[in-house]
Amino acid sequence: MSQAQTSVGHAEKADIFCKDEARVDWHSKALWLLRQKRDRAAAAVPEWEELRTLGSEIKLHTLTHLPQYLEQFEANCQKNGIIVHWAKDGDEHNRIVHEILSKHQVKKLVKSKSMLTEECHLNPYLESKGIEVIDTDLGERIIQLNKQPPSHIVVPAIHLKKEEVGELFHEKIGTEKGASDPTYLTRAARAHLREQFLTADAGMTGVNMAIAEEGAIVVCTNEGNADMGCNLPKLTLHSMGIDKLIPNKEAASVLLRTLARNAIGQLITTYSSFYHGPKPGGEMHVIIVDNGRSEMLKDKLLAESLKCIRCGGCMNTCPVYRRSGGYSYNYFIPGPIGIAVGSKHDDTNTIPWACTLCGSCTYVCPTKVPLHNIIAYQRRLKAEAGKLPYGKAGYMPMVGKLMSSPTLLNCAMSVARFSLRYLPGSMLKPFAGAWGKYRELPKAPASSFEAWYKKNRSK
Amino acid sequence: MKIALFIPCLVNQLLPQVAIATTELLEKLGHDVILPEGQTCCGQPMTNSGCFNEARSTVMKLLNAFKGVECDAIVCPAASCLVAAKENFHEYDNSPEAKAVIDKLYELTEFLHDVAPVDSFPRAFPHKVSLQLSCHGLRMLELANASESMKPGFNKMAALLEKVPGVEILYPEPRDECCGFGGTFAMDEGAVSAKMGNDKAQAHANTGAEYIVGFDPSCLMHLDGLIRRRQLPIEIRHLAQILNDAI
Ligand code: SF4
Repeated sequence: MSQAQTSVGHAEKADIFCKDEARVDWHSKALWLLRQKRDRAAAAVPEWEELRTLGSEIKLHTLTHLPQYLEQFEANCQKNGIIVHWAKDGDEHNRIVHEILSKHQVKKLVKSKSMLTEECHLNPYLESKGIEVIDTDLGERIIQLNKQPPSHIVVPAIHLKKEEVGELFHEKIGTEKGASDPTYLTRAARAHLREQFLTADAGMTGVNMAIAEEGAIVVCTNEGNADMGCNLPKLTLHSMGIDKLIPNKEAASVLLRTLARNAIGQLITTYSSFYHGPKPGGEMHVIIVDNGRSEMLKDKLLAESLKCIRCGGCMNTCPVYRRSGGYSYNYFIPGPIGIAVGSKHDDTNTIPWACTLCGSCTYVCPTKVPLHNIIAYQRRLKAEAGKLPYGKAGYMPMVGKLMSSPTLLNCAMSVARFSLRYLPGSMLKPFAGAWGKYRELPKAPASSFEAWYKKNRSK
Repeated sequence: MKIALFIPCLVNQLLPQVAIATTELLEKLGHDVILPEGQTCCGQPMTNSGCFNEARSTVMKLLNAFKGVECDAIVCPAASCLVAAKENFHEYDNSPEAKAVIDKLYELTEFLHDVAPVDSFPRAFPHKVSLQLSCHGLRMLELANASESMKPGFNKMAALLEKVPGVEILYPEPRDECCGFGGTFAMDEGAVSAKMGNDKAQAHANTGAEYIVGFDPSCLMHLDGLIRRRQLPIEIRHLAQILNDAI
């Protein structure tokens, strides 16, 4: 399976992914299973839809009052003894992290899953500076050993089968050859990771929520790896986007109820930990990153994408994501939310079109991010910037002309109807592009409805 | 009621039987049906692609065909075209005349369920049907409760079909996943579109139904092409065709 290559468009990558139909079916089913678990978990909460409305309002409120909450958060963090840093972009973030680590002569950093550090390309940066970075979330560790980026934001190694993980582990951490039993592999990974925790000089985590009123951060994991990384070394670092802010604990309680349920159908993440300050004799740093977010906030619709709490629910439900794989999106976040926040960064300009606008993601989202509207809007932004893919820049004006003229349209369609009726299908198929490649062409009627109406109803 | 038909280009040109059934059905229900002249495409292929400049003259042409037309409702037997027309009219024209048109727009299922409800359909249709809950009708017009939503369930298409004696209603699994048509998506993303459509067609066939019944002709046409290619033992029918035969 190919990794993210940025010069190839989504359709082409998806086409390659689709060649192995058994694998597509397996991938699609694995994710649909999560969607079904989510449905059951959500259905068990009578006030589910109210929670979604509340979640959306909480995030929107915070985003529209962001400066005041950021200030409050910083002040309260400092009161708690947390050192706060501000980074305008990924580079600045990485520099800050490196400065802190080199001041403490850190050789090995244990990290828990964070999409923000992916966004900033932190791992390769630190590695180039001679610091060893160990991802400690099981899925993250698997893909780190496999030298791949995540293919999903919650289940980052979902594209790998257990047999493939077994092979990888055999090669990298010495498990038995041919072993693919998940329990055995997980145990082996645990032992391997424990070793890493005990020998690390610093721990780093992402942030699920930052509570302004408390000066505290919330970190959610199922494996407790973030807590190992926070509690063993004395030095801890936490990176967060400005969009992670929420006003208070009550807000956290609302979002915590939907996050894990919507992600994988679990009541709550096993470890939902609140960190209020450094441990005695330790140091705790929070790095607050903008990296284009305040720019997005200026656009009313794009701003709504910052309500996302990264549950991954929109990917699990997305019929296109499930059948094209996480590496086809040309952005480190795939699926609907990846299109919503990443279209600007896709040089092939194809990812906004990797969507049928079915709207399932919008309905699944626990904070009501209007994903399909944002995706449609991203297309418009591309069109206005003259960046249409798939030859659309050439043929759309012609389609526009054809459709706006009933005479032209009638004329073209009579030819089409005639051809569909009287020319052999094999002659037409090459002309019918992707339609005819996969489908029989429509059975053409003898005349249009308009003609029928004129004949049968006109007085 | 006096009803103006909105027959989108695809239905007009390639699926006239759907428009004929819609006309006959509405007439049998006692409505006065007219077809305003000069209708064209709703602009969806362009606006869905982000090309709003290219869509303007098409959309205005369609809107103008309805401006000033005397009627109580404008009814369309194609959910996604109706949604597109509604949104696009609004995008390009804010005038009171445009608003008058927009306010009268109804999708056929919606019209028969909410505006001019029908008590019963007398003639039996003793067949198993598998319902195609197409996305735009489902999630943008709320013709049925989407499976993602935890609101109380309802389904306007099923409610109408339940009034036809002998109909047995079935659902594919997953019940309301997108069929992969998505307008130009079917052309741009051929492989994924076909895979989605084949999965959907197979899911419909797995129910054992004889017909796939839906409210969106474009999805039905896409499924039909895939069904015939793979020779699955199931056929497509638009809701209007079933109801028209049942009255
Ligand atoms: S956009 Fe919504 S559904 Fe998707 S990951 Fe974010 S919170 Fe979850």
